[in-house]
Amino acid sequence: MDKYTFLQKIGIYSSLALFILFMLLPFVEMFIASLRPLTHLFSRPDVPVGETMTFMDFMSRFYSDKMSFQAYRDMWVTVPQLPRYIFNSVFLSTAVTFFSMCFIVPAAYAYARFDFRGKTTSLTLFLAVNMFSGAVLLIPLYKLLRVYGLLNTYWAMIIPGVAFLIPTGIWLLKSFLEKIPYELEEAAFVDGASRLYTLRRVILPLAVPGLIVVGVAMFIGAYAQQFLFAITFNQDRDYMPLPAGIFEFIGYQDVLWNEMMAASLVGILPVLLIFLFMQKHLIAGLTSGAVKE
Amino acid sequence: MKNITKALFLAVIGAGLIAPVQAEEVHMIMCGGEIREADQAVISAFESKHSGVTVNAEAVPWGTCQDKSMTLAAAGDPVGLAYMGSRTLKQLARSGLIIPVDISDEQQGMYQPGILNTVTDGGKTWGFPHAFSTKALFINCGLVEEAGMACVAPKTWAGMYNMAKAINDNTSAAGVGLAAKDFDNTMHQFLNYLYSNGGSVSNADTGEITFNSPETVETLEFVGKLAGVAQEGPSGYERSQLTQLYNDGQIGMYINGPWGAGQHNDNIAEIVVPIPAGPSGESGTLLITDSIAVFKGSANEDLAMELASMLSSGEAQYDLDMSWGLTPIMQYEKMMDDVYYTTDYWKVFVDPIGSGGPEPMFEDFKALQAGINSAIQGIILGEGSAADLVAEAAETLAEGL
Amino acid sequence: MSNLIQMLKPKTKSQTTTLFAWALIAPAALVMFWIVVWPLYETFRLSFTNSNLGTLMGGAEYIGWENYEKAIGGRKFPSIVTRTFYWMFLSVGLKIVLGLIGASLLASNIRARGVFRALVMPPWIVPIAIGCFGWLWLYNGHFGLISNFIEMVGITDGPFSFLAYKQSAFYSAVVTDVWIGTPMVTLFFLAAIQGVPRDLYEAAYVDGASRWYRFRRITLPQIMPTIVSMALLSAIWTFNSFEIIWILTEGGPRGGTTTLIIDTFKTAIFSYKFGAGATRAVLVVLILGVFSLIYLTVLDKLNKRYGYSGVQK
Repeated sequence: MDKYTFLQKIGIYSSLALFILFMLLPFVEMFIASLRPLTHLFSRPDVPVGETMTFMDFMSRFYSDKMSFQAYRDMWVTVPQLPRYIFNSVFLSTAVTFFSMCFIVPAAYAYARFDFRGKTTSLTLFLAVNMFSGAVLLIPLYKLLRVYGLLNTYWAMIIPGVAFLIPTGIWLLKSFLEKIPYELEEAAFVDGASRLYTLRRVILPLAVPGLIVVGVAMFIGAYAQQFLFAITFNQDRDYMPLPAGIFEFIGYQDVLWNEMMAASLVGILPVLLIFLFMQKHLIAGLTSGAVKE
Repeated sequence: MKNITKALFLAVIGAGLIAPVQAEEVHMIMCGGEIREADQAVISAFESKHSGVTVNAEAVPWGTCQDKSMTLAAAGDPVGLAYMGSRTLKQLARSGLIIPVDISDEQQGMYQPGILNTVTDGGKTWGFPHAFSTKALFINCGLVEEAGMACVAPKTWAGMYNMAKAINDNTSAAGVGLAAKDFDNTMHQFLNYLYSNGGSVSNADTGEITFNSPETVETLEFVGKLAGVAQEGPSGYERSQLTQLYNDGQIGMYINGPWGAGQHNDNIAEIVVPIPAGPSGESGTLLITDSIAVFKGSANEDLAMELASMLSSGEAQYDLDMSWGLTPIMQYEKMMDDVYYTTDYWKVFVDPIGSGGPEPMFEDFKALQAGINSAIQGIILGEGSAADLVAEAAETLAEGL
Repeated sequence: MSNLIQMLKPKTKSQTTTLFAWALIAPAALVMFWIVVWPLYETFRLSFTNSNLGTLMGGAEYIGWENYEKAIGGRKFPSIVTRTFYWMFLSVGLKIVLGLIGASLLASNIRARGVFRALVMPPWIVPIAIGCFGWLWLYNGHFGLISNFIEMVGITDGPFSFLAYKQSAFYSAVVTDVWIGTPMVTLFFLAAIQGVPRDLYEAAYVDGASRWYRFRRITLPQIMPTIVSMALLSAIWTFNSFEIIWILTEGGPRGGTTTLIIDTFKTAIFSYKFGAGATRAVLVVLILGVFSLIYLTVLDKLNKRYGYSGVQK
């Protein structure tokens, strides 16, 4: 059943290749753009009047003898705070993930295990929060943060981030926790353990795959939505995360596209690495959904 | 874990509430990525004049800086002064966020004609004009000659169109660079054509919208015609991208400001000519200023006002204009003998000032931009007749006045 | 079916349970209340005022339903709403289909599965803004890869700026949105597929069923709960998708890519008309709420008829 014919194999591999090409195309282009000097960045293949572009013309856009890694060196000079921005991005995402999980885990456990008054209502309300993006609430949030004096601090970006991730996190973790068989808890109760003890020593270890999955999902979510909160609630350059910092490559007259692309690629490297490291656990966590009896 | 969070939280709030006692500070925002040397010199002079006062000059990129100054002011945390586009002044004034400035009669007389219009509303001046630009047409002689025509200035729209068409047909480049992306410089480009055709947007005194006129319809039709000999997909381009195309030899001509020469590649032989005149008017140009506005209710309002005044008066202003390569904002020849703008290149930018028109002062300048740009995109995408599009735009403008 | 997961819930409604449960939920609920509920209320309140730049911190007047009348009665409103729904259905549909294809491919028994799976993830991991810059570059008519490619292949005979025309800008934005959303959908579908008990497939194989048959009759029904919940989640996010459209087109040539959320942002933040912007925000929430209600109701009916369990029993 698991064997494929040769034709089927070709089909699978080539479809996969196309799929991955689609996923990675922008990055390939960004990389090539980052290698070109600014003057050659905006040229299109030279096609004389009355003729059409040939394959060689097309390929010429990928390679030019002026290519170099110069942009990767220059970008640190153009935007001196670049390392800081990269650090900020990772720091903010980690902080948001950490705080979110503190709120999510107990709540998800409660929803997964107990039946209590106001359960469905509160759950639906949490889901309802997903229904509007942060973009909609920016103005009142700005006022709120200002009243508490939290503008232009790390908190300005962490707090909204946490608030908007919690509902998704609860929903995701809840479905994982529901799959842990109740018999295990029952056995612990029979032995006289308290609820808190059960949570800590029995459930948590089993929930680790689910926790990892949700944690990673939260991290990625935090990383993706930093931008909006950063540009609205924070004016202090020292606290800016990477996507907002990238905007500094847009100067008065020119946009330093090649350095911008280089900075983007370098900036996302830490997260990509973290992900590569975690992906085994991530997939394992997701696919271990079926807890065998 | 949560207790630590709570403690941190309270600490942050506590720190925010204890306002540290500092020396007097004037907070200033400069739009654009850097603080010009000439301005920096004035700032240092100001600081030495007022001991104990520090100027916190912050350079913010154009993309975010106007919004930043405006939202800070709206939230009750205004900066002392800010250097921004003059188009923001009316909205700030009407919202009560800035205070009117006092420019001496003597200095008022020094300004080029039309400058003060860009900072005046309701009879009061709301900002110190601090930077000025006009526009002209840059033409790539290499492409013109390749197309078989002589590289001379076209005086009329017909002449300009013919030159562009020749380039378009006979070379691999497009005739003219046309901007139609929803950007402010798209609107500016259009206004250059409009003011060269005897048209106007609004009447500054009565506040009436005069946009819906035969001259405007003519102008819009011309833009539509130009689209036929322009680069492909104008709606995707704004002026800085046109510069890129120009440098790549892909367009024969386009409208730009005095900084254009510095942006263009050395290997392009070019001439700079006044905007060609339309059938209903004379060659004109668009007058855009940036100015320094003083915000109401900042920590040191008086000091901010004084600094603003210092930055934009006489000699200081001249130094800035010259070093930055701007169109002279005042008629410096009245004040000194040796001025920098006597070359032929500068003549093209200075001479049309008298017949030029200002960037209109609108409270909702976003509506101004949206209205005009929508009409431009409409004619290019073929979504209506020029007359209809102009009427529609006039409606949008009326709401924003 | 001993492999089916048994989900047991304690049916204790005792007071201590309720208290304990709420104690666990309280912190999360408090954060939500503070950060979301108050701003929501404030947005709702603002929608009835003429709050703008000068009156942000106070002093705005109440103008009743005027904002709503202007917003809903506006010439462009119906087309914006229609466009938003079209955007949502198209994008989500494509994401689901691509997600299923991708998940099936990644679930198959090929070498270096882990590598392929990791390679599919970047669009999800990378900040949306940065991914969009890449697409901005790709869509450029003059030097963009796609434009150059179709010119070389002969489909066009000159540069083509994808973002300069209403139709192409819209579909380009859809492609980018699908690009960003597909990895996560693929990942979750992959997990679901891997959770399907193997003996189901084996039984069918022994009976001579083809791959396609096995996919249609076993895989799809088994992972239907995941499909359904991902679809709803994705629909909500796509409806509110802001950054992608904003960075690519800011609402598109002549409003060709203006969805409800773009219109809201433009009014509120861009034009400093906070009152009118708040109105649109409220409308977004209402429309989405109604949509979700319809979706869940239809789902419930289907559940009763066909037994697909989209909601936990």
